[in-house]
Amino acid sequence: MIWLEFTIMQRALLACLLAGFLMGLIGVFVVRMRLSAIGYSMSHGAFAGAALGVATATNPLATGLLFASATAFLIGPIADKARLHADTITSIVFPLNMALAFVFLTLAPEIGLSSQVANVLWGSIISMTNTDLVYLTTLFAATIAIIYFIWKELFAIMFNRKLAEADGINTKPFIYLIILLSGVVVTFSLKLVGGLLIYALLFNPASTALQFLENMRAIVIASPLIGMATTVSGLLVSLALDLPVGSCIVIVSTIVFAIALLLSPKRRRKEVQ
Amino acid sequence: MREDAIIKLEDVSTVYEGERRPAIKGVNLTLKRNELVYVVGPNASGKTTLLETINGLLPPFKGKVSVFGLDVQNHGRRVRCKIGYVPQDFMVKPGEPYTAIDVVLMGLYGQIGFLHRPEEKDQKKAVEAMKLLGIEELVNRPMGKLSGGQQQKVMLARAIAKKPTVLLLDEPFSNLDPESRAKIPSLITRLHEEKELTTLIVTHDIHHIIDQCHRVVAISNGKIVFDGKPENAIPIIENHPHTTSLEAIR
Repeated sequence: MIWLEFTIMQRALLACLLAGFLMGLIGVFVVRMRLSAIGYSMSHGAFAGAALGVATATNPLATGLLFASATAFLIGPIADKARLHADTITSIVFPLNMALAFVFLTLAPEIGLSSQVANVLWGSIISMTNTDLVYLTTLFAATIAIIYFIWKELFAIMFNRKLAEADGINTKPFIYLIILLSGVVVTFSLKLVGGLLIYALLFNPASTALQFLENMRAIVIASPLIGMATTVSGLLVSLALDLPVGSCIVIVSTIVFAIALLLSPKRRRKEVQ
Repeated sequence: MREDAIIKLEDVSTVYEGERRPAIKGVNLTLKRNELVYVVGPNASGKTTLLETINGLLPPFKGKVSVFGLDVQNHGRRVRCKIGYVPQDFMVKPGEPYTAIDVVLMGLYGQIGFLHRPEEKDQKKAVEAMKLLGIEELVNRPMGKLSGGQQQKVMLARAIAKKPTVLLLDEPFSNLDPESRAKIPSLITRLHEEKELTTLIVTHDIHHIIDQCHRVVAISNGKIVFDGKPENAIPIIENHPHTTSLEAIR
């Protein structure tokens, strides 16, 4: 493959593998712990933060991380204390983050719809730098280590939070950690598909794995693999058809999910019943 | 039976999530070591709230709950590690990615502790508990594929596997087949005696109560309306204005 001889493409491929793995892995916990609404709000928080970074000529990664973390730290306790329905949180925080993002982007009119802005909106994997890859690799190692060490608690919480509490597990710190970790992973993966589409990559691989497997350990292994396969396939499709990488990745991952949905043995069993 | 109070509720009132009206009001209740107490009452009378208040899952807005002499609100995690709890009507949907042994083993996670992983001895405890309930053949079966009665036995095994000091069981026999319904309450009674447990069982089925427990507590409208010997329970429960007939609490 000639394109692989270019450093820029090697970086793109590595970024796809790392971000696809991380999003697929974290997605399992977000989906199973029913944190989808919070994850959705937070991924757009990262988007708003990155927009602020672009507008103020600071590092979009740092501001994206700041916004995602702030959203995580605010939403988690608010949802717990106010006992708000997940839909309510999403309905309020999603438009707020989008509004903030567009306000930030218009704060610096000279930027307009420059490539920087487009990168934040739609992603630009070819702008991946070696530093981005170092961040993603560090995050990859840190995420695997964290999940390895707290797997027992996460496993119990995913089964039933109330029962985990009844068995003596303090569930809140673990849930907040997953929310925070998903915010960080989303922020570092923004360059892959952009703030408007990143959400799909957090949920599609996990939802696909859940269609076929009945063993949580197998799901936690399969979902990152699906994440990697769909991001790399999306990259190849975008190269072949000369289309935006982020959009191709999301379309491929959605098609894979739709096929899984059609072929799911769980669904067929339900129909028979 | 030793006299030490294992569970003590002093003037406890608890409001359930999203409700304004207290589910239990001004409840005073003491369970001594090795006591086996059945809690009866009509639907929505506060029986489940009572259990969830004792194990600290629901914080009381008034009064104090202590278990093993520890305030449950301040030492909840420590206390819950020693409590075997079976929630009411807990059913795992088909397709859920957990096996029966996963579910039983999870009951031990609090005791195993943060950053530690289950060892072979924990696995053995889980299998032993399943054997005790006669469900060892279900070890590797997906939880969602089990019948309601089998799932209920798995939940009982989960509560027993942690070798608790206190058992809190919320309608633990409701989904069992008639054969198991005859056997499992006796098994719980035997375990209770052998392990010197303190046991609180919420039930609608009062037929087994009289010969199987030390005390009966009847709840109606969030208040204790009877607390005494089982043989005295039925006529008093029948005549109480909130439980107009025995059918009301069945």
